[in-house]
Amino acid sequence: MKRCYEEGHSLWRDARRRLARNRAAMGSLLLLLLVAGACFLLPLSPWVANPNEANLDNIAAACSWEHPFGTDQLGRDLLARVLYGGRISLLVGLVATLVATLVGLVYGLISGYAGGRTDALMMRTVDVLFALPFIVLVVVFSLSIEEPSRELTEYLVAATGWSRESVAPLTGLLPLFVAIGALGWLTLARMVRTQTLELKGQEFVLAARSLGLSHAAILFRHIAPNLLGTVVVYTTLAVPGMMLTESTLSFIGLGVRPPNSSWGTLIKEGADRMEVSPELLIFPALFFCITLLALNFLGDGLRDAIDPRSAKD
Amino acid sequence: MAGLLLRRLGQGVLVIAVLQTLTFFLVRQLPGNPFLGERKLPEHIMAQLNALYGLDQSVWVQYANYWKGILLHGDFGPSLVQEGVQVSEIIAQAFPVSLLLGVLGMLIAVLVGIPAGMLAAWWRNRWPDALLMLAAMAGICIPAFVLAPVFGLTLGQWVPGLSVAGWDDALCAVLPALTLGLVNAAYLARLTRGGMVEVLGSDFIRTARAKGCSAPRLLFVHALRSGLLPAVSYLGPAFAGLITGSFVVETCFQVPGMGLHFVNATTTRDYFLLQGLVLCYGVLIVLANAAVDVVLMWLNPRLRTAQ
Repeated sequence: MKRCYEEGHSLWRDARRRLARNRAAMGSLLLLLLVAGACFLLPLSPWVANPNEANLDNIAAACSWEHPFGTDQLGRDLLARVLYGGRISLLVGLVATLVATLVGLVYGLISGYAGGRTDALMMRTVDVLFALPFIVLVVVFSLSIEEPSRELTEYLVAATGWSRESVAPLTGLLPLFVAIGALGWLTLARMVRTQTLELKGQEFVLAARSLGLSHAAILFRHIAPNLLGTVVVYTTLAVPGMMLTESTLSFIGLGVRPPNSSWGTLIKEGADRMEVSPELLIFPALFFCITLLALNFLGDGLRDAIDPRSAKD
Repeated sequence: MAGLLLRRLGQGVLVIAVLQTLTFFLVRQLPGNPFLGERKLPEHIMAQLNALYGLDQSVWVQYANYWKGILLHGDFGPSLVQEGVQVSEIIAQAFPVSLLLGVLGMLIAVLVGIPAGMLAAWWRNRWPDALLMLAAMAGICIPAFVLAPVFGLTLGQWVPGLSVAGWDDALCAVLPALTLGLVNAAYLARLTRGGMVEVLGSDFIRTARAKGCSAPRLLFVHALRSGLLPAVSYLGPAFAGLITGSFVVETCFQVPGMGLHFVNATTTRDYFLLQGLVLCYGVLIVLANAAVDVVLMWLNPRLRTAQ
């Protein structure tokens, strides 16, 4: 018995093998790990300078051993700023995607499983939201929850005794997380609903029901695991989109605010002084574009691996 | 077909109402107000300003008044920051600018993206395909806000006559429109390739080829119509994307269009201008989606009979 089990090819094992054979996707994965590792781990080491430490004697320095990417108009080390900015950009991308995935998954599951009038109502709501100009709403929404997030900072400082400096960067990002994530779940909700409709008519659901399982158990134990492929692919492909939204907002001055900086704000700063020192634009833009590229290749690779029918050729 | 359009239009009205209501209440509870300037105004002047613009009433009364103004008089209210200017005047000035940029951008996207996708599909899995798709991937990953400054620095400097900021003559539209267009061209190219590859692999194409159909005829007469479906359905979202793009491009090149006004209005808390612009965006999106529906139905007979 045991041998049969070992030799069986599960969907995931097949997918893993197909993915491992996809050179572009594996290269992207490696690149992503490198970038994420650099952003999150390197600043812990003594070699990376403080990103906010200005040094007016060393303004707009060229690349050197001490400052590998040079310094900006206030003499701050650009490498450190790019790495710290990457933390924020990656974090916003990940957390916003997580929010969107959770909301979209649960919404789609309920809508598809309930069916009938509930389903119709829920899907019409999605249709209406889908037609709204997304970016406009994100801007207004993220501005309007700025005040509550500031109150949350005060509350956390008072209640837990953490220093304001350690809490403020995170709560300051909260409006962005919520706004981008809360409005980005529509596509996934539609996809999940369609699949749920298909799945709930199949025999194993009927069997589960005749065994007397509750609706919640059927939904989360029997239907949800079958959606994992869709969700994984959607999530990987959604991260670059979310990062793009964040950076666009930051670029026009409506996203990440000082003292935080993301790749979007760094690119903005670089664009403002690109005639004098183009490397201020080049380095953050390079990091940003390479990360997006890798995320897209990885997402495409995952889609082809999990659902070979969708493979391009 | 008329039924579907009518339903879509009904949905459009709902969309605009929801959008307007959401923005209205979200905007009213933003911290700060439009009259905060360099100098803090005395209390009584603030109170008079609020009374002048009706901002001292309850939010619900303001909400009712806002709709009354628009529906009965076509009045979008005054700009709260630019004194003595009506929102409708600002929009009347900014709308043609953004429209021109949007149409030019769309045109560039379609003229670059769709032929590129068709070529890639025709030479599937050979080097033109790989090259074009690599370029498309790069186009997707280099966002407008990187492309815009780079264009300004390179093309803006090298090509005489091209302007990198402002809005004085027709040449000012070149760089912004190019930036807007290329980003969308990348998506269109990928979608067109996908659609065409599928169609070119289908039986009726093989039959046509077996009967000696020439390559151009095969591509343009037989395959194009259904191969374009994915690209056309993307045009609706692409139109919404143009709004995002216009925020970036208009800020970058200092073009006085709706995007620049929107960005400024959010920071200055110009309630009426913000809402006027949002209403405008809503109407545009609804119309664009309806137009895409019509084109899709013309391209795909199955959608017509489904009615």
